[in-house]
Amino acid sequence: MASQLEITKLTKNFGGLRALKGIDLSFEKGELVGLIGPNGSGKTTLLNIIGGYYSATSGQVSLDGQRCDGKNPVALSRMGIGRSFQVTKVFKRLTVLENLMVGALAHAGTSRRAAEAHAREVLERLKLSRLANEPATNLSGGQAKLLEFGRIMMLSSKVVLLDEPFGGVHPDLKRFMYDKIREWNAGGTTIILVSHDMGSIFGLCRRVVTLSYGEIIADGSPEAVRNDPAVLEAYLGDRHAA
Amino acid sequence: MTFAAIIELAVNGLITGILYALVALGIALIFGVLKIVNFAHGEFYMLGGYAGYVAVTLLGLHPAAGVVAGMAAVFLVGAAVEKTLIKPIHLGKVERADEYAIMITFALSVLLLNLMLSIFGPWPQRPQAIFSGVFEFGPVLLPGDRLAAALVGAIIILVFMAVLRWSWIGMAVRAVSQDRGAAQAFGINIDRVSTFAFAIGAALAGGAGALIGPVFNVVPQMGLVLVIKAYVIVVLGGMGSIPGAVLGALILGQVESFVPILISDPARGMAYRDAYGLVVLVLVLLVRPQGLFGRKERRA
Amino acid sequence: MKLTAPSSFIAVAFVALCLMLPFFGLPEYWLYVVSIGFYYALLASSWSLLVGYVGRISFAQAAMSGFGAYVALLTSAYLDLSPLPGIVIGALAAGAVGIVVGALTLRLHGAYLGLTTIALAEILRITATAEHQLTRGTRGYAAPPLWEGISQTEYYYVFLAVLLVSLGLMLWLLHSRIGLFFQAIREDEDGAASLGVRVTLWKVLAFALSTAFAGLAGGLYAHFIQLIAPSMMSMQEMGYVLSMAVIGGFANVIHAALGGVLLQLLLEWLRELGEWRLVFFGAVAILVLRFAPNGIFGTLDNWASRRAR
Repeated sequence: MASQLEITKLTKNFGGLRALKGIDLSFEKGELVGLIGPNGSGKTTLLNIIGGYYSATSGQVSLDGQRCDGKNPVALSRMGIGRSFQVTKVFKRLTVLENLMVGALAHAGTSRRAAEAHAREVLERLKLSRLANEPATNLSGGQAKLLEFGRIMMLSSKVVLLDEPFGGVHPDLKRFMYDKIREWNAGGTTIILVSHDMGSIFGLCRRVVTLSYGEIIADGSPEAVRNDPAVLEAYLGDRHAA
Repeated sequence: MTFAAIIELAVNGLITGILYALVALGIALIFGVLKIVNFAHGEFYMLGGYAGYVAVTLLGLHPAAGVVAGMAAVFLVGAAVEKTLIKPIHLGKVERADEYAIMITFALSVLLLNLMLSIFGPWPQRPQAIFSGVFEFGPVLLPGDRLAAALVGAIIILVFMAVLRWSWIGMAVRAVSQDRGAAQAFGINIDRVSTFAFAIGAALAGGAGALIGPVFNVVPQMGLVLVIKAYVIVVLGGMGSIPGAVLGALILGQVESFVPILISDPARGMAYRDAYGLVVLVLVLLVRPQGLFGRKERRA
Repeated sequence: MKLTAPSSFIAVAFVALCLMLPFFGLPEYWLYVVSIGFYYALLASSWSLLVGYVGRISFAQAAMSGFGAYVALLTSAYLDLSPLPGIVIGALAAGAVGIVVGALTLRLHGAYLGLTTIALAEILRITATAEHQLTRGTRGYAAPPLWEGISQTEYYYVFLAVLLVSLGLMLWLLHSRIGLFFQAIREDEDGAASLGVRVTLWKVLAFALSTAFAGLAGGLYAHFIQLIAPSMMSMQEMGYVLSMAVIGGFANVIHAALGGVLLQLLLEWLRELGEWRLVFFGAVAILVLRFAPNGIFGTLDNWASRRAR
């Protein structure tokens, strides 16, 4: 059975630095996968290649059988890959509602009315309805992160890459975000979550992939990865590994 | 081509190069420390020219003192501009910092140019030079006013480089230009360093203006063409790179001296003279914006 | 911009006033002055389309106006056309330059983009001066009137009509999804791209529209004052356009247009001050940028909406 997202022998070199060393990885439709690894492991590089910000030195990435590496972010968005950023990139001087509508309107054939209706529905789900007409710059950090989620939810992407979405987020909001991610995933969206927050990763994900120095050193259930000696070694000194 | 003629061309190129270097250093310093492109830099050069003119012709000071007066006056103007217009950027008081810096320095250039135009009129002014007459070095003839300009300019550059390299304030400036946050964490008063850097950058341009006044006249538009060349130099050398600015300036000086001899210029070619630098600027910005020595700015 | 904002009322009132102005029996001179105001309004608003909405800094607006003017006049002369087709060609040519420049400068931002546009503007101006066999250089190129026997009043209404139609087109575009894309690009280009906004397309389109309207303004202006020179492409002229847009409010095409007309009236009223006018404008522009960045009309609207809360 062909996977939804297939990564084959992906290599990325930055000059002399070998960030990814021939990674093979595949994701099935509807998975909720955590991607972890110490700093410098290559997980951000991998994310950036899938997301179209870097091109691979060699190897390829395919979505539903179609090659998607080397394409720019705009094309990838249209193919069905959505991505959130570590540093929130909400449109500060646009309202929350407008922020949500941009992505939907960027896809031809969506009427303004349909986009607005969909946006209000997403706002409702994220419990942000009362902020619909607020300029995004007035949002708190946590609300901005939710808005980023919302923007990607509007795209009905097939695969969503979440890059450190929980940075600096209040525990209550985090729990809310977990629920939203589970809901999102339950609707059929494949979600790849990159995070240093081990609690979130092990709490949310049914599968965890661990990178270290550009290679996959573990790939399995959270329990298996948690106890994997190779992972413990990579994270030597991390309190979750103890 | 006689040996004497070659020497003369080279020396003329050196003189121009030194003056370009003064202006370009100012740009590099301001960009390095404050991270802004100062669109009014040509007008600081022009102000220096007028300040020197006022000091020498209207107040009767010695031409050398005129240069000092020019630099001092522009230093003060630069400090005032930085404190009132630029500092708000780093204090977070301005919403769209990038646009703001660009537009406000552009508006400032419009204001300064027209201010001098209104006060002094469009006619060229020519203050007295430090040395007049012609110096003879064997078969080579060099005008004294240009020699003086070059010598003083070179001294200013050397002093500046020495201060930057070996003095405490120079180290502070270099620290802030490399990492504002870290410099601040080490107790450097970045507000004062910023004001100082901007004022010095302006003063360097003003010094060049005061030096060139006796040689090529002082007019309100004198900054317009020159600043484009200075930006060509700075962009080519890499924005914020001090050695790049000096090297580029000296090279451009020689190029401008020798190339017209090598190319047979029809009258139209001369009319386009100012455009060559512009074309170079556009090409560099399109092809390699970080220049020869600069670091590539990373986005996202 | 909300329909209930004060500046909307002012704009509508102003348009009504302008429509009726020729019937007030003022000397023709004032119609002439206000027509020039319409010229600057078109330049200021098309500049704000690019700078305010998309966030792409350009200093080439005045130069593109001149470019459009020269192309209009030269094609009319050499292809034996009447002025109107010439003006259209001038606008299209300016738009084409905008496409090329927009495409070449995609990866440039902020000050680097600003520097590039200054260089391009100056290259155009120097070319217009240098090619004096073609353009008569600084002596100026004479242009025929828009049509035989046209009156000052007719010129006035033509300019006003062109301005209103242009503003209408701009507003229509800016209120559509494209306007939203423009602003998304200004706020965060990468974020916009990741949502599927075709950043390249819209950036190039914005540049082309901005230059095309400038070229249109220039062509019309050429047949109006009937003598153009490279000085209309200078940085001094750009200084006027920038000041007008900034003081009016460069984040909004209507505010910028109002700024254009009103400042032109002020320019005329302060005529005896000569170059001091630009000192004054520069100073006001600086103050506005520093303390009221949304311009007079933007600040007025903000103040009103704050009071309404």
